[in-house]
Amino acid sequence: MLFFRSEDLIAAWCRERDVPLRPLVRLDQLWGLAVAWYATRLEPAGRRPQPDEMRGIFAAIGLDDPFWDPVANSF
Amino acid sequence: MAGADDFDLAVRLEIYRHFAATGARPAVEQIAARAGAGPAAVRESYRRLQGRRMLVLEADGASIRMAPPFSGVPTMHVVESARVSYFANCAWDAFGIAAALQRPSTVRSRCARSAEPLVLELGGSAPAESSWRFHCVVPAAHWWDDIVFT
Repeated sequence: MLFFRSEDLIAAWCRERDVPLRPLVRLDQLWGLAVAWYATRLEPAGRRPQPDEMRGIFAAIGLDDPFWDPVANSF
Repeated sequence: MAGADDFDLAVRLEIYRHFAATGARPAVEQIAARAGAGPAAVRESYRRLQGRRMLVLEADGASIRMAPPFSGVPTMHVVESARVSYFANCAWDAFGIAAALQRPSTVRSRCARSAEPLVLELGGSAPAESSWRFHCVVPAAHWWDDIVFT
């Protein structure tokens, strides 16, 4: 899970390593994920989202590719 | 199991308090002293928390590699907040530390391809639009197959 300066640099990085290009995430979307995942993590009720919650979090910020499905076996 | 669950909660909260206050992973003995238990009981709790994916332990079963979003070891993703420096496990967790602390933070990382530095001030709102992107190779269903690689 890495930062890249541009989408072109991600494509180059994937080609060099022969790994698939995955869905790209803007930093405002990443902030949305971080808040949903971690905003309460230091509190007693803090915990990892469960699969159904994960799907809702991803969908709410526009990440609906099967890549983000926590139980998918095809992507 | 209520007793174990309550103890695990106390242990987890002490771990996170330590990370939040110092930026570093706690020793088992520090958590034991704060939780009012022995080191063996804390190590057992660590194992249960790892089973619930709340912690990732080193091979010694006592050193915390990850208490997401905090990293117990140095990484390329650093977050500075209130004069404390934190290591994050990954790009996502760098933002996650700022979200968890709920206070202004500076994320320092770099482009994985070009090594260009990324310095980003995070407050209570999303960062401004830019050409920077986040990319993850491993599909969500397999993140925990090897969470350190992910």
